[in-house]
This record gives sequence, structure tokens and C-alpha cells, in this order.
Amino acid sequence: MEVVAARRSSDARRMWARGTDGSGAAAGGFVQAAQFCELECEYCVVSPVGWPQDAAVRLISYLTGMLGLLFAGACVPVNPLAIASEGSTTVTSQTITASTSGGVLRVGQAAADLGTLDPHYASGTQDRALVDMVFNGLLRYKPGDVTTFEPDLATSLPNFTTTADGKQAWTFNLRKGVMCQPTDGVPAYELTSDDVVYSLQKAANKTTSAYSSDYAGMTFSSSDQYTVTITLDTPLSTALFYPRVANYSGGYIMCARPAQKLGSDGLKTHPVGTGPFMFKDYSPGEKVDLVANPAYFRGRPQLDGIEYRYMADLNSRELGLRSGQLDLIYGQQDDTWIDQLAGAPNIKVDVFGVGEVSTIYFNTAKPPFDNLQVRQAVASALNRDEFLALYGNKVAQKVFSPVPQQFMSGGLTQQELAANFVDFQYDPARAQQLLADAGFPNGFEFSAVTSEMPAYRVIYESMQSQLARIGIRMNLSVVDHATMHDQIRKDVNPLVVYVAFRPTPDAYLTQFFHSDAIVVTGKNPNTNFAHYDRVDSEIDGARGEADPVAQTNLWKEAQLRALEDVVAYPIQYTNQVYARSTNVDYGHDLTSAIQLYPVIDERTTISK
Amino acid sequence: MLRFVGQRFALSVPVVLSVVSLIFFAIRVLPGDPAQAALGENASRSAVEALRTRLGLDAPLPYQYARFLADLVHGDLGRSMITSTPVSDQVAYNLPFTLELTIFALAIGVVVGIPLGVVTAMRRNSLADVFGRIASLAGLCVPAFFLGILLILLFGVQLKLLPTIGGGSADAPADMLAHLVLPGLTLGLVMVASMTRLTRAAMLNVIGQEYVRTARAKGMREHAVVIVHALRPALLPIVSLTGVWAVAMVGDSVTTEVVFSRPGLGKMMVGAMLQRDYTSLQSVMVIYTLFVVGLNLVTEIAYGWVDPRVRG
Repeated sequence: MEVVAARRSSDARRMWARGTDGSGAAAGGFVQAAQFCELECEYCVVSPVGWPQDAAVRLISYLTGMLGLLFAGACVPVNPLAIASEGSTTVTSQTITASTSGGVLRVGQAAADLGTLDPHYASGTQDRALVDMVFNGLLRYKPGDVTTFEPDLATSLPNFTTTADGKQAWTFNLRKGVMCQPTDGVPAYELTSDDVVYSLQKAANKTTSAYSSDYAGMTFSSSDQYTVTITLDTPLSTALFYPRVANYSGGYIMCARPAQKLGSDGLKTHPVGTGPFMFKDYSPGEKVDLVANPAYFRGRPQLDGIEYRYMADLNSRELGLRSGQLDLIYGQQDDTWIDQLAGAPNIKVDVFGVGEVSTIYFNTAKPPFDNLQVRQAVASALNRDEFLALYGNKVAQKVFSPVPQQFMSGGLTQQELAANFVDFQYDPARAQQLLADAGFPNGFEFSAVTSEMPAYRVIYESMQSQLARIGIRMNLSVVDHATMHDQIRKDVNPLVVYVAFRPTPDAYLTQFFHSDAIVVTGKNPNTNFAHYDRVDSEIDGARGEADPVAQTNLWKEAQLRALEDVVAYPIQYTNQVYARSTNVDYGHDLTSAIQLYPVIDERTTISK
Repeated sequence: MLRFVGQRFALSVPVVLSVVSLIFFAIRVLPGDPAQAALGENASRSAVEALRTRLGLDAPLPYQYARFLADLVHGDLGRSMITSTPVSDQVAYNLPFTLELTIFALAIGVVVGIPLGVVTAMRRNSLADVFGRIASLAGLCVPAFFLGILLILLFGVQLKLLPTIGGGSADAPADMLAHLVLPGLTLGLVMVASMTRLTRAAMLNVIGQEYVRTARAKGMREHAVVIVHALRPALLPIVSLTGVWAVAMVGDSVTTEVVFSRPGLGKMMVGAMLQRDYTSLQSVMVIYTLFVVGLNLVTEIAYGWVDPRVRG
């Protein structure tokens, strides 16, 4: 890969327009990509230039513009804002805009740049959102409602069968006529079971996927072009199996040929899937442009494309939306901000799930938190209402169990926990007494690192002031977010605040409470910051339990025990906050989204 | 003059080498694992270790340093640790945006600041002078990022006259210029304030001199006296200040690019820093170093050209 992403995509378009081998003689390329002809012709106008030429073109354009404005511009009324809204995309996209009526949705995302657009590695919201627009799963979460699964690339929701050797098998029938998007040297072609098997194998391989552990013990096979079977060594319930093959993390299906052509590095900035939108350009640190996929199997998207800008600064995003230069922005998880923006003309604020759960994990391997009474004292000294006040009750809601019962079965309600005396009610007098009983009548002092991100920092700071009331002095070091993640995985903090959403109760419990996941020393170190090892049998048992009621009970048992041992203190979940122009219609009712962004698909529209 | 230029150039080499080395080691001291950052927090330990090996992060630091210097000498800035794209391509994409912003802002500072300074000096204690002094003081007190937000609010949100996001399309010159106006003003107005005050002070020093009085006594026109006899000697500190401002603007462009979500080296640097992208970060910082050293070199040469005594 010797050229810039933008240039590479320009070349890709040329190749695509000319045929498979770029020779201009491959008629097959034209035939196979016939559905894309509308875009091909427009892409033909993009000339491939190297970066010195790019810079030269920019300089010449600049000088021409200066001269133009000096000599003629003064006589011609120019509306720069109109230029900004239409012209901020390239000439190519302007052509596309002119050819249809859908318009380009301009999104401002809270990030400095992309991380990776390889769906099997994408973990940040800024990446997951883009990946979701380009790829499909075998199944999908119903847009706007994470509680319901729908068939996506598969024709129906499967049921499992048991094989002769006693293994669980799930068979998927694939839709016919689903087209893999064309890319550099690989024309569009129909997705088949070979692609699906390739993708699932990639997701299950620890050297090509961050989510390989979700697919351990699975084998993938195809009996014909449109049939894929997944065989499991250890059976999984529907509640645990469906998320692994839905449009999330390793469940996104990648087309084999472009993936092999692009290689692991190419996939980071050049996603190629079967979804409603196709990759067009990546401008480093600035934006990613997507265009509508005219051959999308659910029909051509209403929008012509997406201009997805990386704008780390909230003020810039907000002002961009207010000035009409952006249509949709990532907002701030704060009721004051929501009220302020909701009052602005032509702007609507969406507050939706799923909420990321903030939980405090006590490191039971380090004094003084190895002492149960100290942990109980801290739990009694903390007041969820104070944490909640930091965000407001539009954004945040109390959570009493590590698995949020508001979003999935397997979580516990406050009543269930209160019946077992583990709902951790605020009781400073009890906290003082417990502390004295533990041998710390005057409290104690400890140090912890926190991320500079408000989602973490404000919780740590609130905790600091609450604990100070019972004599516990917490010294906080504020570090950048990546450093905090690095440090807490090295077991630096005696107490860790972690804010996360996981798609299943099993994922929550396995990653935060299974002994294999203990940081540093676990078999597969992950995020068990508590060094807890007393609920492995419940977690493992639930994973293989086919009966949903029994499974849920095991999850609840595991959480009850963990809470009795006070290794975690669940605080709250915080909803997602996005603001949009009232011209934007998602095309579905938005109550929750697994990717933590308001799903943009073929039904999304923007009226000008 | 050539000898003078050669000497200055030779002196710049050890400066560049020292700063580049400092950058390399300072970045390695930063906490956080770039391989973990590249793969995301969900990546397995083995995948992170494999990436560390592939990126050469597990090699001894002196080896990494030697390789970094060797690549740099060959003009190879490496590949981004996050996106794997060549950093030179990222720089090539972003550099023109930063250059045009800096040049545009400098032009505003010089073209507006110097005449304003001359006018306020020549009309000392007049209403125009008082107004100019107050305005320039206000300009110096406002941080660039704050001024940027004010300009966005006024011209973007309220008047909806100018675009406030992005850098515009190179294929549409008017669009490009429209995108340059507000960021350029944000950077340039602060320089106007500083330039006005300095020019005024320099001019006031000069216009009382006997040779200026002699020029007037000879019957020269006032504008000729001002431009030929007063302004030229006053240019020395102005040239110095322009060099200083050029350097400062390269730094200030970071915040301006972030506020206006404008592509550029500054925004690239902030992104690289947040993502622990060592290769991109050190490359941008090296480019900035070359920028600053280059600008100082140009200033010194210009100074030597304006005042032959400096060439010694």
C-alpha cells in the first residue's frame, strides 16, 4: 500500500469502472458491476494523482481562487455556507448529490480519527458506527431496538439441532442475490457460504480478530452455496448464540475476496461489506465518506451518502449542528446540555439505550480492600443519588446488579437485591462502624489513576469526596484514557471504575468475574479487576444451559454471590446522547442501539 | 551573504538532530501501549504481543532509535501504528492545510498590522491612535481558540455567512477560500494586534530622528518620508517579530485546527497523541521542528539581509 487512502480509493474506482484487472478490457467486470453503473460513471471523473500533485493542485486552486475572487468574485454573489454544506464533499459526491434527491448525511463524531474499520477489531463507537453501515451479520438487532433479533444475511432465525456425536448445530440459509461491494481490483460479486465461512473463521482466529474467544469451540462449514452450519463443541442457548452471529463485533460478515486482496492493513481503512453504504474516501484525521450502495439487498438507501467527520471537540460539533453544517452529532451525557440544545430551533436530541454501566470493582488481592468489612464500609458510604446528579436522570439511571436488568434478562432488580440485603443502601453511620470494626477507625489513604474522560473522571472525583466523609482519602492521578486502560490492566488501582456495555450477561460475568479473566494473572487476562474466583461454576454452567429460565437463575446466583462478597458496586447506566437536525429521520423508532449510535440504514432520510 | 547563510544552515543541523532525538525518547516515555491502543481494549494479550513484535516495539530502544534515524535520513516517516497507512501520505494530505492557514494568517498580520501601526504612529494621540491601541491590546488579550469560537458563533451560527467546519475542497477554490477565512482571521487577528503595537513603537522611535527631519526639510513628500526613511529602519524589529509569529502560528494552528475541525498537522498531531500512534506523532513533531528551525533560519537570513551589520 504505497499510496494515500484517498488516492487508493480513486484508483479503486478507476479499476472498478474499467473492470476486474484494470485493463479496460474486462467486460466481465462491467457485467458483474452493472448494478453500480450509476456510480461508476461518476467515479470516472476522479483522476488519480500522487501527493505532490495533490499539493500542487491545492496550491494552484488556491491561487486561482484568490485571483477569481479578486477579479470576478466581488461581482458574483457567493453563499459560502451553501458551498460548505454541499461542497464540503468532493466533486464526485456533488455529482452523486445532483443525480438523486437523498442528500448526504453529515455526522460529527467525538473522536480524533478512526481506530480500525476491520469489524473484527473495531471496538470504539466511532468505528462500530461506520462498520455497521458497511457490513451485515447473519442476524441483526432490529434497528432501534436491541431486544429483538431479525434475519439479516440469513433468511430466517435458526433453531439448533443436535448432531449424531451430540454436538449442537445451527444451520443458516443465506439470502440469494446479496452483493459484495466492489473494491480495488475486485468487482462486485454475490455473497455465498464460502464468504460467510471465511468471515466466521477470521472472527474465530485470535491473530485476525479481537473477539476470537466468543467463537472458541465452533466449527464452520458449508453444504452448498447458500447454507452455512455452525457446530458447537459446547452448546449455547439462543440468548448467547444469536449475539455471536448478529451485527456486532465478530458477527459482521466480511466478503472473502476483497478482505484477502486488501490484507489486514488495508482493512483498517477500507471496509468492504454488503451493507447499505460503501466506502468511498478516507481523509486522515478528518473524515470518512461513504456512498449509497445501489445494489443493497434491502433496496438502495434513501441517502446518497454519509460524511462522517472526526471532531473531538464538543463545542465544534455543537456549533456545526447549530449552524446547519452538520446533521447529526455525538452529544454530551449531561441533562443540562440536553435541555440547552433541545431548546434550539430545528434541533432534536435523542437519548437512548443501551446504557453503558459504571461499576466500581474492588481489588480483593490488595489491602485494605482484601478485607470484606472495608469493602462493605465503602459500599455503605457511597450514594448512588450523588453519582446520578452528575449526569441528571435523563441520561443516567441507577443500576443495582452488574448485569443491567433494564436491557437484558439476567440482571437483578433493586427489590431482588434488597431481599438479599445487597442493594447497598447509603448508610454513612454503618460505614463508619464497619471501618472501625475493620481496624481503620481513622480511615486510610490510597492512590488510584483515572482517565481524563469525564465519564470516568467525574465518578472518581465524586467517589473521592464521598469517601472523604468517612475518613478514606483517595489520591487521584488523572491520566489520558489509553494510559488508564493500560494501568488498570497492570493491576495498579486498588479500586477500579469501569464503564462498559456488553451484549450478554455471559459477557459481563465472564469478563468481570470469571477467574480466567483476572488481570495479569488470569488464564486469559481481561477485566476481572476484583481478582474474584468464586462464581466460575455458575458462569460456566449458565453458558451451557439451554433452558433460559435455569440460565437466568444461574446468572442471578453468580451476581448475588459477587455482591454478597462486595467485589463490585454497580452505580448507574448512562444512555447515549446524540443531537440531530429535525430534518433527519432515522427511518425507525429509536429506543436502543447495540452499537451505541443511532442506526443509519437504507431507510434513513434527510429533508432539505 | 552566502557564507552567512551557510553558517546559519550548519548551525541548524545539530539543533534539528537534538530535537529529533528528544522527540523520539520523550514519546517512548509516555505511558500506554500503542499496540493495545491500535487493537482496542478488547484485543487478546497474544494479539497485542504479536502486534508489538510486528511494529518492532519489543526491540531494544537503541535499535529502535538507530532505525528511526536511518529511516528519517532516507525520508521514510514509517507507517501509522493505528491505520497502517504511510505517515508521509498523511503528512502530505495535512501539510497543505496547515501551510495555507499559516501563510494566510501571516499575510493578514503583516498586511493589516504594519499599515495600522504606521497610521497610529503618524497620528499619535489622535482618536484613531487611541482606538488602535485599545483594539490591539484587546487582540493580544484574547486567546486564539476563544476568538475562534466567537467567530464561529457570529459568522457561522448567527449570520450563517461562512463555513466553520473542514478545509474545503481543493477542486473548488472559492470553497477553499471560504473555509480559510475564519481560521485565518482567528490566527491573524492576534498577530495584527501585536504587529500594530510593535510597528507603532518602532515608527515612533524613528520619526523623531534627525535624518527624518532632514528628509522633510528637503521637501520630500510625507508618504515618501514615511515609507523610505522611517519605515525601512523600523522594519528590523518587525522582521524579527514576523519570524517569531510565524513560529508561534505553527503552534497556534493546533488549537485553531481543532476548533474548526480543519485538517492539518496540528489536528493530526492531537489525534496521534490520543491514539498513541508513535510513528505519526514523532513524524509530525519532526515536521514541526523542521518548520520552526526553517522559519528561524529564514528570519535570521532576512535579518542579515535587512541589516548588513548582522552578517558581521
